[in-house]
Amino acid sequence: MLRKKLPFLHSLLSPVSRHVGHLTGHQYDVIVVGGGHAGTEAAAAAARVGAETLLITQKIHTIGALSCNPSLGGVGKGQLVKEVDALDGLCGRAGDWAGIHFSILNRRKGPAVWGPRAQLDRQRYRDFIQSELLSTPRLTMVEGSVEELLVTEPNPEEPGHHRVTGIRLANGSHAISARSVVLTTGTFLSGSLFVGQTTSPGGRIGDAPSSAGLSHTLRERLGLRTGRLRTGTPPRIVKDSVDLSLAKLHLPDSHPTPFSFLNTHTHCKPEEQLPCYLTFTTPGVERVVRESLQLNCHIQQDTKGPRYCPSIESRVLRFPGRSHQVWLEPEGVTSDLLYPQGLSMTMPPDIQLRLIREIPPMRRAEIHTPGYGVQYDFVCPTQLSPALQVKSTQGLFLAGQINGTTGYEEAAAQGLWAGANAARSALSMPTVTLSRTESYIGVLIDDLVSRGVTEPYRMFTSRAEFRTSLRPDNADLRLTPKGFEEVGCVSSVRYQESLRVRNSLQDALTALQALFLSTSSWKKKLPSVPISETKSTLLTGLDLLQYNDVTFEMLASAFPESLSSFMEFAQRLKIEAVYKPHCDLNKKEIERIQREENMSLPQDIDYFSLPVSLSDEVREILDRVRPSTLGAATRLEGITPAAVVNLLNYVRVTEKKKETPQYFDGERVREDTA
Amino acid sequence: MLPLRPVCGGIWRAAVHTVRMSRGAPPYRLFSSTCDGAPAALADADTIFALSSGHGRCGVAVVRVSGPASATALRCMAGFTQRLPPPRTALLRSITDPRSTEVLDRGLVLWFPAPRSFSGEDSVEFHIHGGPAVVTAVLQALGSVPGLRPAEAGEFTRRAFQAGKLGLTEVEGLGDLIHAETEAQRRQALRQMSGELGRLYQDWSDRLKRCLAHVEAFIDFSEDELIEDGVLNRVDVSVSDLQAEIERHLKDERRGERLRSGVQVVIAGATNAGKSSLLNKLCQRPAAIVSPIAGTTRDVVETALDLGGFPVLLSDTAGLRDSSDLVEREGVRRARERVEQADLTLVVVDSHLRSVLPDTGTVPCVCLLMHRLCLLVLNKADLLPEKQRQKLDTELRGVSGLPAVRLISCQTNEGLKAFLTVLHSSVKTLCGDPLFGAPTLTQARHRAHLQRCAAALAQYQRYRDTDLALAAEGVRLAVTSLGRITGRVGAEEILDIIFKDFCIGK
Repeated sequence: MLRKKLPFLHSLLSPVSRHVGHLTGHQYDVIVVGGGHAGTEAAAAAARVGAETLLITQKIHTIGALSCNPSLGGVGKGQLVKEVDALDGLCGRAGDWAGIHFSILNRRKGPAVWGPRAQLDRQRYRDFIQSELLSTPRLTMVEGSVEELLVTEPNPEEPGHHRVTGIRLANGSHAISARSVVLTTGTFLSGSLFVGQTTSPGGRIGDAPSSAGLSHTLRERLGLRTGRLRTGTPPRIVKDSVDLSLAKLHLPDSHPTPFSFLNTHTHCKPEEQLPCYLTFTTPGVERVVRESLQLNCHIQQDTKGPRYCPSIESRVLRFPGRSHQVWLEPEGVTSDLLYPQGLSMTMPPDIQLRLIREIPPMRRAEIHTPGYGVQYDFVCPTQLSPALQVKSTQGLFLAGQINGTTGYEEAAAQGLWAGANAARSALSMPTVTLSRTESYIGVLIDDLVSRGVTEPYRMFTSRAEFRTSLRPDNADLRLTPKGFEEVGCVSSVRYQESLRVRNSLQDALTALQALFLSTSSWKKKLPSVPISETKSTLLTGLDLLQYNDVTFEMLASAFPESLSSFMEFAQRLKIEAVYKPHCDLNKKEIERIQREENMSLPQDIDYFSLPVSLSDEVREILDRVRPSTLGAATRLEGITPAAVVNLLNYVRVTEKKKETPQYFDGERVREDTA
Repeated sequence: MLPLRPVCGGIWRAAVHTVRMSRGAPPYRLFSSTCDGAPAALADADTIFALSSGHGRCGVAVVRVSGPASATALRCMAGFTQRLPPPRTALLRSITDPRSTEVLDRGLVLWFPAPRSFSGEDSVEFHIHGGPAVVTAVLQALGSVPGLRPAEAGEFTRRAFQAGKLGLTEVEGLGDLIHAETEAQRRQALRQMSGELGRLYQDWSDRLKRCLAHVEAFIDFSEDELIEDGVLNRVDVSVSDLQAEIERHLKDERRGERLRSGVQVVIAGATNAGKSSLLNKLCQRPAAIVSPIAGTTRDVVETALDLGGFPVLLSDTAGLRDSSDLVEREGVRRARERVEQADLTLVVVDSHLRSVLPDTGTVPCVCLLMHRLCLLVLNKADLLPEKQRQKLDTELRGVSGLPAVRLISCQTNEGLKAFLTVLHSSVKTLCGDPLFGAPTLTQARHRAHLQRCAAALAQYQRYRDTDLALAAEGVRLAVTSLGRITGRVGAEEILDIIFKDFCIGK
């Protein structure tokens, strides 16, 4: 259901970006600072939940810009995109609109680890995001640079040492108040850019640096612990200067699969998709890196960069004498540029040119924009609650790279969750959490807030314990009902659709279980399937569907009267059947963990004076990490079973004491302030 | 340190026992994110069993089973094919091994259907003869019943607590109880893991972790990276080797090291305090060489004793001091290792030294700080003038939190009788607790985890060519099962191996 046309944007933008002067003294529910993947999802989610939302960004026309690679999804990341979509976020639909090369990675490794991925047209992606935001009710966008947070005394009835009441803009003294503020400043928090031996302040090339005031407020005023991370981006190459015949052609899937559960097809027609190209580094590349090391500030510093997205410098230094992959990816349908994935570098521009020309297809290549490195501050995420709120500061939420993550999808997922919670908190509704047993977003947030980061955090499927249950195909079943019923960030259209899908799938599986035949009868029905007759047991249709060579289509043609109405779900049913025994095994463990996660530990608890038997060591760990739930506490290193039982006992007793409901469903308590 | 953290969460922990698909089941339920209310009790799915009587001088041993599969255990081990026995009634039955139908013992069985049982769950008690062979056989037979696994430390009590079966005072002491049980299991495991068996398990664990890291790398990175298909072929070889080795180990009953049973009592202290004299006194023969030269004992001297009917394994260790002598240094290292594994430590101090109270950092202090069970033995009372005795008395009274102290003389036998009484009652308490020094239970636990590990590796083989996610799930389960013996493995540890072995550039 992709819309046929996006509105012409620039004519629409000006009335929305009101002059900031008009906003002074205005009270918003939620202010989102930043217009990247986290910021746009946060603003849209906050508005969907029902909050009057203001998005502040340095330049409106860079909202939705893909600062680094022109692609979305992948293994692990694709799962995040599907989940953001299931919660009615933007990036899945934007990907379907802007994608120009779709492929499902890991196609041969099992549906639980399929990685939906697409190359994107940068312009189309930006257009889609901007158009979505413009048509979102309750959302205003404004250009500006935030100088500081307005901080005051906390609400004594809630935990925390401070409360955020709004922001102050850099140009002049405009203060805008809000009940919640979401910071999604990406690499701009005390960001520095590195090319060769030059360093300049900034978070992205071509954009003004953010003010140092924000960093100062976070560290000095709010006392938050911060750390420093680095990342980098490759030079952009002029397409016409590359001899692509020397690289290996890599074609997309012939039938593009959309990210969004709402879309049946992608905007780009299958035959209009663009290819990618694969090439390899040569010994010359390693030589150039070694010769230019003394000219390369970024690489000499010991700030932590990601181990899995290293610059070409780190790659050849860590694994010398090898040939490394370089993908040449299109930047868009009409773009003249190529993006060399794997060649992120920070040496001086003339040496960058020497380096890329050591790679055969780029022998005569020209650089359009050189690569560069960025170093930036992040806030140690163990200081956040699972709602992504700063524990010490009421109303302040953080999402994206500011929490130490890397990647568009990781940012979008946090943005959505922080935005939804910022809105709920502003509207006096309780915040909500996602368990690591039900979603990759839950895994991401739990890893961040309970373990922290030592390097930029990226999602992998190996991080999810219940990988066989958290599949890309069932993200809607896992999250859409919850998103509508408990969070309020899902539209009723999507909700109704997800119910229809869920009921149909359930009916189909029940119908499959009702087909109950002996092996010999099955053999007659499906002569081509090797069913062993040694077992004289009866088999259901569901059992049959677990066979490798049995498809739902085969069963449907054998039993058209009971199954043919479910043909649209053929693939999903096959996957459900194969994974069912494993998910059943997971289920008990999942339920146990969820029960422990349902027991929350008060945030203001004084672990040192808690009148239960805990060792000093355990008290220290609990005080340092301040786990939000008993479940999170049990996962901490050094927490003994005895400590868990004592905590459990404490939680039971305190919960019994306050059995008075604090919130009433559906009622949003709002104060009216002028 | 072995993280024996049985009841709480863990990475990649999942129930592994076989769940049969039910026929004609109620309508299919898809993944549902909502928790159906908040159940009153945290009922666990597994069924657990443990020896719940003491060992040593006992004629009858009680083995308890708790959980949903208790009735299954009763059916297949006590021959109730048709219906279950009346609740809470003792019946004399033949107890058989469900695998071989061999009769293991004749004993009493009791059936406690939920909720009227100690744990609030369906429970069964087997009252059998107390000999170690019978107990071991029954525990191993229980381990072979589908859905049953050996209990972890404190698990019975925890379940009883969750079912609201414990009184207020019992609940208050629960944390301490579980702490003690965990500690006892930890020491027991440490004893087993310090030997050849430990090295074997550790080697399996390392190889398994590597297999898992390589499968995970292949799943998460192979689409974009130069991770050759050869990686998986090497994993295939490793997995089938490991599976074969573990299965062979499980079949070869003699392969397990003979476990030293009895309460492990270790004599420790500074040099020349009279540790070896104490050992000789206790075993009433000159088992260890005694001399006035400091540092005479260099290795661990071990003696099995019967202390008022309870089995005790007494070890004399080298005096603790810094030494430049290589042999003595090794002796001191072994001494510390023994203290670490001990159920009870006898800290021997020379009483006529100026200050008997241990300085910070010396052994007694370390023992106290680590909440070890220990007795402080002040030796050489015969050399102590009356005046100094009084001073010592005041000094000791001024310190709180000291363990039981006894002033003795190995030379004149002064105070020895009183000391023996204290020692005897400590050992008796230890033996009364089924978890202390019960190697059979540890053995049964290891066996159960190894069986699951081998079964999980078979899952890898089964799905290797059709669904790598499900195949990887098998390796994950195998790592988790073995991790129950060798220590928990987290996702980060696996990622570390991945990044060490592969250059992941995307």
